[in-house]
Amino acid sequence: MITFDGVTKRYGTHLALNGVSFSVPKGQILGLLGQNGAGKTTAMNILTGCLAPSGGSVSIGGYDVMNQPRQAKRLLGYLPEQAPLYDEMTVRSFLRFACELKEVLRASVPGHVEDVAGKTGLTEVLDRKIGNLSKGYRQRVGLAQALCGAPEVIVLDEPTAGMDPRQSSELRTLIRALAGEHTVLFSSHILSEVQSVCDRVVILHHGRIICDSALQSLRQGEKRLRAVIACGEGALMPALQQLRSVKKVDTERGGEPGTTQVVLTADGNAPIERELFTLLSSMQTPLLRLAPVEDSLEDIFLRATSDAL
Amino acid sequence: MRAIYRREMQSYFYTPAAYVFMGVFLTLASIFFAVGNLSARSGNLLKLLAQLSYLWMLLSPVLTMRLLAGERRQHTDQLLYSSPCSLGALIGGKYLAACTVLLMTAAVSFVYCLIVAVYGTLYLGETMVGYLGLILQGCAFIALDLFISCFARSQMTAAVAGVGMNLLVWFSDVVASAVTVRWIGDGLKFISLYQRFAPFARGQLSFSNVLFYCLFIGIMLFLSVRVIDSRRWSEA
Repeated sequence: MITFDGVTKRYGTHLALNGVSFSVPKGQILGLLGQNGAGKTTAMNILTGCLAPSGGSVSIGGYDVMNQPRQAKRLLGYLPEQAPLYDEMTVRSFLRFACELKEVLRASVPGHVEDVAGKTGLTEVLDRKIGNLSKGYRQRVGLAQALCGAPEVIVLDEPTAGMDPRQSSELRTLIRALAGEHTVLFSSHILSEVQSVCDRVVILHHGRIICDSALQSLRQGEKRLRAVIACGEGALMPALQQLRSVKKVDTERGGEPGTTQVVLTADGNAPIERELFTLLSSMQTPLLRLAPVEDSLEDIFLRATSDAL
Repeated sequence: MRAIYRREMQSYFYTPAAYVFMGVFLTLASIFFAVGNLSARSGNLLKLLAQLSYLWMLLSPVLTMRLLAGERRQHTDQLLYSSPCSLGALIGGKYLAACTVLLMTAAVSFVYCLIVAVYGTLYLGETMVGYLGLILQGCAFIALDLFISCFARSQMTAAVAGVGMNLLVWFSDVVASAVTVRWIGDGLKFISLYQRFAPFARGQLSFSNVLFYCLFIGIMLFLSVRVIDSRRWSEA
């Protein structure tokens, strides 16, 4: 549904995007991650036609954004980082304007406005001025305008920025509900948010893609186990480092006296549990606890960006 | 284009912009009419129309300053650029909305014609030619100020730069007299809106000047589209 093909964007001597290529199939929610200045907003602005690429091409639903802008933009709803709102308008008149911009048939505009307002929880404030709304409602109005015209592709640039946790959670639920019916490209600094909303993650770093993977397979790449062993660190560590499938052993502080708490890292399918049990039984050392360590997206992100440095 | 036009019209009347423009223009116009026509017992409205063209020059940026600079400041330009609406339709819709407010103001000022017609002798033909010139002059100022608004981030900058450019284009024939290089002087005289309006202010219909105004407006709108489009290639 969305295709980036070797997209490059240059601002003078600075290369903001460097040969970025990826595609998003219909119905998928893709999270675009990256540090400040990584090129996320530039990529989104190129996708929405607000910026022209220096090289490469972007298409939506098979239509090239630069050469067939009208057809491509008919399939698009965009909520930029700062919601584009006219404070002097009421929510209803603004949504009506958004529908007219998206070429919704005149006769179906009032019904469509009610429908979009219902989906985004704006029915109660439809006749209030946008300038008098809270930040949370303003962001909902921004999302509602992106939904006007029932676009197949929705682009959301840090949609929860500046919202309180409850408002963010409600908005995430709303975005999650769009999956299947819409293809969503979503950028955020809050990694847990991407984790809860997206099916797939693309990580940008200095304008290049350094990771493009489904969330599930990102976590399956490595296996980490936390073990609490009733043994002193001095005797235990050399033995653990001898284990064939273990790539890395990290000790953790704060365990009970006389025990050692370690995190063992191995390849996803390595028989690390079996090797550990065999080792500890041969040492006649009790294993007090063994649990998998859930790799958070923060860990994956930090690892990916530090590997790329 | 219709969606943009409707929104701009709503915006003019939701905010003080149209009321300020119409209020200041009509108040000053009424004072000029009272002094120049009622007190002087003169039915000649052409002098009044010439004075009104000065008001267009000073007040037209009130209508245009928020058209594009305001969109940039509020970040609503991204909503417009990501919509299927073309840049030509976007500029066209905004321009037509500003011209509509200007025409509404001009229409209200017809009341002076009625007063003269009832209490004296109205030279209808000359007056209508004068009005045509006045409206073309106003539309030209709006096109120029809309183009200036493309470059500004704040509405205040757009307004001040608009008044400055209006003055420059209005008085370019005065500047021309001080220029010793002939072709530059001729060029400045050619674009002087004051010189272009002068025949209309005498009640003379000049088709070449009508054509000049149409071309001037067309070029300004075309350049506005080009400036906005070029920003997509360069903006950080």
